[in-house]
Amino acid sequence: MIFKVAWRNIWRSKVRSFIVIGSIAVGIWAGLLIIGFSFGMNNERTASAIGTTIGHAQIHSTAFDIEPLSGAVLGDDVAVDELREEVEHLPFVAGTAQRTVLQGMINSAKSARAVRIMGVWPEDERAQTTLPVSLVEGDFFESEGRNRLVIGEKLANRLGLKLRSKVVLTFQDTEGTLSRASFRVSGIYKTLNATWDEFHLYVHHEDLEKTLSAPLVHEVLVRFTETVDTDEKTVELAAVLPNGMSLKSWKQVNPELGFADDMMAIMLVLVLGIIMMALLFGIINNMLMAILERRRELGMLMAVGLNKRKLFLMILLETLILGFVGGPIGIVLGDLSTRIMMRIGVDLTSKKEGLAELGVQSIIYPEIVPEYYIIIAIMVVTTALIASILPAVRALKLNPVEAIRGQ
Amino acid sequence: MSKPVIEIKNLEKVYEGAVPVHAVNGINLTITEGEFTALKGPSGCGKTTLLNLLGGLDQPTSGTIEIGGVDITTLSENQLIDFRLRNIGFVFQAYNLIPVLSAQENVSFIMLLQDRPKEEREARAQQLLEAVGLKGKEGQRPGQLSGGQQQRVAVARALASKPQFVLADEPTANLDSTSTANLLDIMEKLNKEEGMTFVFATHDDRVIKKARRIISIEDGKVLSDE
Repeated sequence: MIFKVAWRNIWRSKVRSFIVIGSIAVGIWAGLLIIGFSFGMNNERTASAIGTTIGHAQIHSTAFDIEPLSGAVLGDDVAVDELREEVEHLPFVAGTAQRTVLQGMINSAKSARAVRIMGVWPEDERAQTTLPVSLVEGDFFESEGRNRLVIGEKLANRLGLKLRSKVVLTFQDTEGTLSRASFRVSGIYKTLNATWDEFHLYVHHEDLEKTLSAPLVHEVLVRFTETVDTDEKTVELAAVLPNGMSLKSWKQVNPELGFADDMMAIMLVLVLGIIMMALLFGIINNMLMAILERRRELGMLMAVGLNKRKLFLMILLETLILGFVGGPIGIVLGDLSTRIMMRIGVDLTSKKEGLAELGVQSIIYPEIVPEYYIIIAIMVVTTALIASILPAVRALKLNPVEAIRGQ
Repeated sequence: MSKPVIEIKNLEKVYEGAVPVHAVNGINLTITEGEFTALKGPSGCGKTTLLNLLGGLDQPTSGTIEIGGVDITTLSENQLIDFRLRNIGFVFQAYNLIPVLSAQENVSFIMLLQDRPKEEREARAQQLLEAVGLKGKEGQRPGQLSGGQQQRVAVARALASKPQFVLADEPTANLDSTSTANLLDIMEKLNKEEGMTFVFATHDDRVIKKARRIISIEDGKVLSDE
């Protein structure tokens, strides 16, 4: 019956209770939307970087990690084939792609820039990355020709390059000697990562080999079947690598992405904490008002024998009920709103340029993150528990005689 | 001879202040089982303070109050709450029912605090409401009842815990003459038929006329005991 009393007490002042329950629901709804939006944006950015360019993990020789020189290769063709075969046997690995990675310079008629030259096996890249579909002009080594070059749009603009423009690439061979070769722009790509676009250009591995006199494989990109538990998978993958090779997860390859992931988790808990703080004061205020209005009644209850434990329980229940009613409403509203936005997307076209700098598309598709529902539920219950303390203490301090007299 | 329910010895209650007020000033009193007693006196004479002391709602400055052989002045706050729950029934001037509960639930609530089984609670609540003339009103909430009916629910609630005695502080102050007469008849009947001890603090002549023992109090002292 204590629960019945607490429940009915909630509805004594319907307007006030609805306001508190409404604020809890709206707070949680807003929290879930922020979570869904943030995760959607961040995951899209991560998925874009992983899918387009860096993969879930990359294998290099340990020498390459120390200094990325031309000679720091993974091994000869046989060794690389064996490595890829072994890695592809792991159940969570979807595929691999090998690359030549050279540090060099690009010279156009207008300017020169330091770049990273990616010598690629186009079929591998097509199978394991989405870069070939990120082309805005030209093609990804589909057309016939020699010394073809695929360059990022941003870098092309800086160097004043267009399709079929001629450039000279300078890079070191395995002996440490500088080599030069002229290439012609056959494709211009644009990913969501403007920084990548500005620093990376792609050439066919065969064209590089003509200058380098041998195929060089510095990097094997590994793509997992899904972007879940990547840290654990990376550890498992590292265990099968032979000596002299090292593995970098996508978070290590692009620390900014990993940092954004970790920071977002912290920020979201902080945001939820701030929402809960605001709710805390609202609930405390509501309960203090309720205690003040019911002084006479509480005094009577204490007089006739309601002990302190049960009085505390009654007020605790009233506060928890507010949370238990408002919480699920907020979660349902937040879930529904997120699901709707998952379908239609949040159009931020007006901020397209800024978002592109961040590696995010202009339409954000929020995501549902079930773990946060549990976190929110725990936070609501904790908030209600904390909110009940002050009103309960006030009630316990009532002097029955004075309270009954209405003093 | 009836056994004593309440025994007060040298009871004093002094409210400290710039000028100390002796609200209860050396009262010795014995209330025996089955009494229908009125404490009368003008406002501020100390009758409500004495009633609060008897009910364990307030602590005396000195003296002892024995209820059923237990000196309640020695009990801790928690012990007093439990003692009140099991030994004393209260009827207040302003009824003080729980507005969100029905008449029956208001009566049952006390028994719930005593951890009595649900069936017993419901049966006794119905029986008591019938005894105070509220059969058919069990499901109504206080707001749906008249003042007199609410006070009758309060009487039923006071009796629900099977107390040793009932303390009623100005129980008729907010009632019209018909309701007062009804309420007094019910309490007198409960006193006579069930032997329930009632102690009233009142200055209502209608109550005083019904009382079989009248204790006049003035300046915190017993002026007369008839």
